Formats: sequence, C-alpha cells, structure tokens
Amino acid sequence: MEVIKNYSKPPTPVPGMFTLTDHNGNKVDQNSYAGFYRLVFFGFTHCRVICPRNLARLSRILDALGDRIDGIRPLYISVDPERDTPEVMKKFLEINYPHFTGLTGNQEQIDKAKKAFRVFAERKADPEDPGGYAVPHTAITYLMDRNGRYLTHFAENLSEEEVLERLTEQL
Amino acid sequence: MENEFKASEDWLSSIPLMDDTQAGSLRRILNLAAQLPDDWSGMQGLTTLQEDFGALRFQLAFMSFALGLTHVHHLPAAPGVFKQPFNSLIEKILSPDVWTYWHYISTGNGPFNKSIGKQPGQWDPVIKDNIMYSAYVQSMALLYHYLFQDDKYAAEGALTFSIDPMFWDEGGKHFVYDEKSLNDHLYWSMVERGYLGIACEPNCVFQICNQIPILGFRFHDFVYGGSLADEVTSGYLQAWSEFGVINDSGHFNMMVQEHERQVITPDVLPWTDFWMGSMMHAWNPALVREHYPKFVDKWVTKLPDGSSFVTPAPAAALGLKERGNAHDFGWAAVCASELGDTSLLKGLHEFADEHLQPAWQDGGYYYRRCDQLLTEDGLLRAMDPHTSNALLPYSRLNVTGGLRKLYEEPLQEEHFSQPKLISLEPSLDVLRAKYDSKVQAMVLTLKPTHGMEKNSTVSLEITNVWKRGDWHIQRDHETLALCDSDNISSSTSSAQLKRLDDSVLIEFELTDITTLVLSWK
Repeated sequence: MEVIKNYSKPPTPVPGMFTLTDHNGNKVDQNSYAGFYRLVFFGFTHCRVICPRNLARLSRILDALGDRIDGIRPLYISVDPERDTPEVMKKFLEINYPHFTGLTGNQEQIDKAKKAFRVFAERKADPEDPGGYAVPHTAITYLMDRNGRYLTHFAENLSEEEVLERLTEQL
Repeated sequence: MENEFKASEDWLSSIPLMDDTQAGSLRRILNLAAQLPDDWSGMQGLTTLQEDFGALRFQLAFMSFALGLTHVHHLPAAPGVFKQPFNSLIEKILSPDVWTYWHYISTGNGPFNKSIGKQPGQWDPVIKDNIMYSAYVQSMALLYHYLFQDDKYAAEGALTFSIDPMFWDEGGKHFVYDEKSLNDHLYWSMVERGYLGIACEPNCVFQICNQIPILGFRFHDFVYGGSLADEVTSGYLQAWSEFGVINDSGHFNMMVQEHERQVITPDVLPWTDFWMGSMMHAWNPALVREHYPKFVDKWVTKLPDGSSFVTPAPAAALGLKERGNAHDFGWAAVCASELGDTSLLKGLHEFADEHLQPAWQDGGYYYRRCDQLLTEDGLLRAMDPHTSNALLPYSRLNVTGGLRKLYEEPLQEEHFSQPKLISLEPSLDVLRAKYDSKVQAMVLTLKPTHGMEKNSTVSLEITNVWKRGDWHIQRDHETLALCDSDNISSSTSSAQLKRLDDSVLIEFELTDITTLVLSWK
C-alpha cells in the first residue's frame, strides 16, 4: 500500500513479481523477460480440464498473432510444485503446448507468485484420482508489459475472438 | 396522424400514478437524504457500534437502491427527483460515523472468528474483509454513475474515507479510492478467494453480502464495458458448489468460515432466505423462484384477515442480545416485491399499516420505532429504522423483477436522450414521469408535498426538448405554450416559460395535483 503522510492509496492490483525456475532449470524472475510482453497462466500439469482447455485456446490465439508472437513470452506457472518439477513441465509443454515456458519453484516461491498475481489455488482430494489430488485454480490469463507490469487480463468467459482482439490492441 | 399530437386520454390513463403510500415512502427517503451531514435523526436503531443488520450503511444503501428502482420503473423521465438525493446518500455513507466501527470489528475474536485469534485493528474500511460496507460504496457509486451518467466518483480520490480527529492522530487518516480503484480492489479480492466471496467480519464469508459486489460489477460493466459480473457469478456458483448455495432443506446457506471451511446456517433466520432471495434474484432468478415457496411456508404467518407477518429470528442465534427489530419482516416484503408475490406483499403491508405504528412526517410515510419484539398474542410488534426507512419503502416502490430488470436490461442511449425533468422544487412530489417515444409525449404528474404552502409557485426544468419539431405543453388540458424546434412561439399568462440552452424552464402556481403533458408532432 502506498502511504504519503496520512494518505494511503489501494495496493497495485497485480504486482506480478516472482522468483522461480524455468523448465530448462534457469533461475528467472519478473525482470528475466525484459523487452517482451508476457502472457501468464497459472495451472498444474495434472489438471484435466481447465489447463488443457486454456492452454489449447491460448496456443491458437498465439498462432493467430503471426509474427507478433515473437514479441511475447507465454509463461505457465505451476500451482503444484510438489509434482511439477522443471523436467515434468518441460515434457508436458514441449509435447502439447510448445509456445509456453513452464515456471515452478518451491512452495514458498509459488505462494509468493500466487499472491503477486492474486491467484487462488487450493489443494483438494480428487474423487477421480484416489490417492492423488487436484489443485483447483484461477483460470485468468494475465498480460504483462515489456517491463513485467500488469497491463490487463483475460477471464475464461471471454471468447477466443475477444481475447485475440484485446490482445492485439495491447501489443 | 403525421403532424398531429398523438398524446390521447387513453394514452394518459394507461400510465400509472404512484399511490399515496408509494409517494410517501419515496418522500421519506428524500427527507432522510436531505438531512444535514451526520444528522441521523430517525435512523438510529437499538444497537450501538453499527454492528447489526440495520446499521446506517444498510439503511443508506437500500434507500439508494430503492431510489434507483423507483427512477427506472416508476419515474424514468424524472432523474431530477433522484440524482441529488442519491448523491447525498453516497456522501453520507462515506462519513466516519458509518464506517469507523471497522476499527473494532476488524479485531475479530468473536463467536465466528475466535479460531484466527485477535487481529490488529484496521482503519481502512475497504482494504480487507468488510464487504458488508465496501460493496455498498462500490455499488452505490457505480449505480449513480450508470443512472445519471455522472462520472464524479470516477475522479481520483472521489471515494476517500477520511477521519480528521481534533485531539488525536494529527492530520487524520485518509484512504484514497474512486469507483474504479475500489471496484478493481473488490474484483481482485474476489479472484484470490476463488470467487467464494469476501469476508464481512474476519473469517465470515456471508452469501448475502457478496451479492452486493456482484450488482456493483454489473453496474461497472454497464458503465465501462466488460463482463465482470458474468465472470464472478460463474466462479461464485463453482466455489459455492463445495458448500451449497442452498442447503439440503431447500434454504439458503448463511456463511462459510474461511479458516475452518465450514458452513454456518442457523435454522432460525428468515432474513437469510428473504434477503438472499431478493438480491440473488437479479442474476439467478430460476434458483430463487424454485425455492421461494419453501421460504414463505417456513417463515410467514398468515392471519385470518389476510394480513401476514414474520416472527423475528431469535437474536441469540447469532450470539446477540435480544433486540426488537423487524428486519425479517422487511426482507420478506422486499423479496415478495421482487418475486411478484403480490398477495403476500399486500398482506405484509396491511399488517404493517395496522400493527406497526405507521406515521406521516413532512410528507413521508414511515413506521415509528418500537423495541418490543412481540405482543402478548405473539404478533410482531417491533419496528426499526432500517425496516421503516429502507425495506418497506423498497418493497412498495419495487416492481415485479425490478432488481432483475435493473441488472439484466441496461438502459439504452435513447433513455438518456429523451425529454426529462432535471430540476424541480424539493418539496414537490412527482407521481408520474414518463416519455413515450411512440407517442412522442412526456407526462408529468405533480403534487404539493404535505405541508407545502398552497398556491406556491413551482419551477421545473425539463431538458432534451428542443430540436425535436413543433410541440406544446398542456396543464390539465389547458395549453400553456406552443413551441417550435428552437423557440417558444406563444404562451399563456398562467405560466412563465423560458428557454435555457438545452432545456426549458416552466414556472406556474401549483394548487393541487397537476398533470403536464409535453407533446411533439
């Protein structure tokens, strides 16, 4: 919260800081992609519905951007650090969603990233995966500017065309 | 019919007038809105520290919602009746008298949040939790912007929560927001809680209090575009599927404890059903309609004379001392009005008018406070300011599905460009104000408010009247003036007319109920 003498303003809605490891094993933070827009989605590789649907949708949108995709770094941040090691994320993304770079970390790092993006994710028992678990999570896609600052976001209820149009406007 | 005035007697008689109690209910709200800052006369209830469900914030908010509904559904061509009073209610809800309770309540350690221990006292009333206040400020400011196309609360700092004490904390405390930053803050607070909702008191996520920001998000969508409300309602249903919006008995669940992830729904609280039903009907009408008959069956007592009442919830159910109020009764009336249960609504109003101390003051119709809960016969006896000033007026002024229509049917550009009354004597009751684009005519029916001097000269300003072709003004069938597209061509001596830029100023002597018709060829 910004405080000037006795005046305080509301906090920046999406601070967007993180310190994580990418799926190639490199340490990265919000400054690591300077000069590029970042399209950020949180999820977990065991996700059966939300992540496949959104990553596929975002991949189609990125394809539709043509050459402009070169100015964007699509990032997929795990909310399940226990299972999503860099190796697991790399295998998952390179096969299915090659535009994306996976980011993960330890629980504390993930919790900080979630807080910085106002992401909800909570581990729960999964009736369809006895012995396993699910991590229901926010399905918002964030667009950060070339300096890593929040520009806008796209909720899941927007159509593919609306996201493409709004994304194009921002780039 | 070209080049002829189309406003006929049949057309005129097809436009309903507000009745005496509706006009009196509206006047009650206008009178309270006109009180000087921090004069809470007639609004003070039985409890202290603004803790109960009839606190000032609730009264101010539901009075403002009632104003909005009345404007849209009864007097769409008279924003001048509502704009300033609505603005006054927003200014009042920003008063520290209304929100400094939060410094104490934010410390928690009460019946439903002991598990998280004592918390540091907060001064900023919207930064964390307290959706039972923040959402009302958000929704009122955005509804004001939407209805009156006035962006004053979008300016930086326009919604600043300030206290300037005299003898402590020199310089005071100032929490600077506006309608957009407050809306953003509530939206992201919703997101990071998985759309389950934002807590009222620490740890207490009430369903009802999270209906209000949803209304605010919708008004935000109307003003700024986007689909925040659809996103949040979709997420809300998903999040509450874990706990149940409705419980196994077919009644609304009251709240979830955030820390324990546990539902609390005492089985003795009529307001949970009726308040929730009233608000959620805006965006989830099918669910409310499905369960509404169970609410009535369980909570309403119908008397042989056709009147009805609701026995108040025992205060002990929420760990409170026994206090006399009629909130459950009031919310039943609001819910019946929204659901279009005219039979029950009539029965509740009849009971109130017979048993609950009705009174008139300065043209306003209200009910005197009574702290006795029940009569010896077990009939409702209590009355409180919230029910009197906000809930019963809301229920009289709402129409079937009124909040639903406000939420679902955005006002079109045509509404804002039509002829409308933008200024009038504060002491004038408007019983009818509508422009009909098919007939190209506007009707205004006016009445001197109770206590207004007879034969007073009244002054009305009506805008959007020029550049629409030839027109005339009639008062009770007497033609007052003939006008063309730009000028007043001729007028009688019984009224003074003057063009003011986009509007016309009309002055005349008002002795009794009077109907003006402005009609274009």
